[in-house]
Amino acid sequence: MGFFEHLLAGFASALSGYGILIMAAGVAWGIIGGAIPGISGAVAMALALPFTFALDAPTALVMLAGVWAGANYGGSIPAILMRMPGTPASAPCLLDGYVLAQQGRAAKALGVSLFCGTIGGLISIVVLIALVLPLGEIVVRFGSPEVFALALFGLTLIAGLSGPSFLKGIASGFFGLLLTTVGLDTLTGSMRFTFGSAELLTGIDTISVMIGLFAVSEMFFLIAHPTRKAGEVVVGRAGTAFPNFRELREVGRATFVGTIVGLVVGIMPGAGATASSFVAYNEARRWSKRPELFGKGSLEGVAAPETANNAVQGGDLVPTLALGIPGSNSAAIMLAALLLHGIMPGPFLLTKHPELVFTLFAGLIIVNLLMIPVGIVILRLCLLALKLDPPVLIASVLALIVIGTYAGDLFVLNPVQALIFGVVGYGMRIWGFSAAATVLGIVLGVLAESELRRSLIISHGEWSIFLTRPVCAVLLFLTLGVLLYPAFMTALRHWRARRVAAAPAAKS
Amino acid sequence: MPGEVPLSETAQPRRSLSYRELVLAAFLVVSGGVVVALSMEITPGVQTDPLGPRFFPIALGAGIALCGLLLAAVEILFRGEPSMAGPLSDASPEGEEDAGPFSPARFVGAIAATALYVAAFDALGYLLATPPYIAAILLIHGGTRTRALLITPFVVTIALYVTFRFGLLIPVPDGPLEGILPW
Repeated sequence: MGFFEHLLAGFASALSGYGILIMAAGVAWGIIGGAIPGISGAVAMALALPFTFALDAPTALVMLAGVWAGANYGGSIPAILMRMPGTPASAPCLLDGYVLAQQGRAAKALGVSLFCGTIGGLISIVVLIALVLPLGEIVVRFGSPEVFALALFGLTLIAGLSGPSFLKGIASGFFGLLLTTVGLDTLTGSMRFTFGSAELLTGIDTISVMIGLFAVSEMFFLIAHPTRKAGEVVVGRAGTAFPNFRELREVGRATFVGTIVGLVVGIMPGAGATASSFVAYNEARRWSKRPELFGKGSLEGVAAPETANNAVQGGDLVPTLALGIPGSNSAAIMLAALLLHGIMPGPFLLTKHPELVFTLFAGLIIVNLLMIPVGIVILRLCLLALKLDPPVLIASVLALIVIGTYAGDLFVLNPVQALIFGVVGYGMRIWGFSAAATVLGIVLGVLAESELRRSLIISHGEWSIFLTRPVCAVLLFLTLGVLLYPAFMTALRHWRARRVAAAPAAKS
Repeated sequence: MPGEVPLSETAQPRRSLSYRELVLAAFLVVSGGVVVALSMEITPGVQTDPLGPRFFPIALGAGIALCGLLLAAVEILFRGEPSMAGPLSDASPEGEEDAGPFSPARFVGAIAATALYVAAFDALGYLLATPPYIAAILLIHGGTRTRALLITPFVVTIALYVTFRFGLLIPVPDGPLEGILPW
């Protein structure tokens, strides 16, 4: 089957049954979740996971893609109307969005955010498709050693970038990898860390762990650290007004800059929506014909970060689909949804399950198009959700988490695991560890171990197999570079400090 | 001079030793050690698998312990790592600066209530166990209006029950209500 046949089949699969309704529901939930501070895109996706139990894998994926896309826009709603970003990525949007709202142009700001975000999202999907297919053809030649090296590289890179401490990030990644070793060893049948419990033979429930680390820990944080944040004032009468032709020309450059920044940042594993929207805001100001308007109610100041944070989705999915390395929490949750449906994520996803990948491509295009109608309709519901008392929201989410994790395989141990990992996640957050790196370890763990062992079975125990294969050697070299980078930086910092301190002494 | 680092960036007074970081480092070392010790008890694999089922967990345990040792060394020698924070998408905790002070009572209360709820979930059934749990969380958090306190537990319970039981066709445990409920 050729590319277009695959894509058409993907559209047919995405739109089959209640596909369009499920995607619209995903987008709607994403927008609402993104709009509610405390429920970021990843948390909204984690909370949507239980609803995918009853769906087949392609439908589940496109629904989650809808949640992801929706959350990207949803975050800008409170940012523009209440000067309170719904997600970290929408923080730059408030700089001009809220000023516009104060000027009585809230509807226009929301319209620009929605429209430009959709444009950014759609372009990023086209680029995703253009990049993933050739990359997939390269990756298909990878053997076990290359796949192991790739998993190791992805893990090191993301663990190193995902938190304030490199060492804690790496330790968090190791912890995630370790969690995947619990249960029966697939190659030998040996029991590992089961402590005599039959329930642990099948291992730790990935979904419960993810929900625990992302969602439960967030709710516990909100309970343990109640905010005294004001910002309940919604400016004006909320609505959505799309940019006219003149305004479109005005924001064209910023939209272009935002798209490029979002794509580039998205493709780099470890950097994501938050980084992209800040970078895009700065770059748009630099390239703007009227930079003096930034911060004073510039439509470009809304367009650039919102386009970038939507364009990240396509960029993020490039390493996720082509190499099996999720570029962000949201991408990791997409891969976890695959695990839930018995599909092993990894570099061979495109070769082994092309129908799934093409359904996701089609679904991504559809959900981005759905953003506009759903975004307009759902705005009022978002405002109602924003008026919810925080304790009501927290209690509802926790109750949803318990029943949601139970629903996976009707097993009470799942909510127990979610609770335990909620506490663990809270501790990790407080003490500077990276829950994101742990999740990545969980997603990549099985692949990394099985490919490492398979490589050594093939080479009869010869470790040189990892150095005699060029791609593998390069990946391991890069991994080493990432690992040594902090030590190099520390040494450089101290050398510079000593040089600066020595300079006045030499002069005197 | 070009490339010269401003004095303010480099010649700052060294911060004092963080005992919290040292405790965390010790925790990592001990945890890594425990993982290695537990891994040694795993039954060895077959001869065709040169690594066997022990290797990966042992390597990870050692890795965690090594991270702990390096963390301690970096803290003692350099007073912490150079900042390399990279904003992994949606990972950076939002509103951290707006977060209120830590309330241990609320934290422990929320965990205890959730643990009790999960323990009662199967035995009492969803419909009986959920409203008291939601009410407990509302009370622990505080600041809920009386009307919301009375209405929310029942509205949320019923909404979730209907969604999962009739929407997603998932057999939610009914506990003692099984047989009484008409479905």
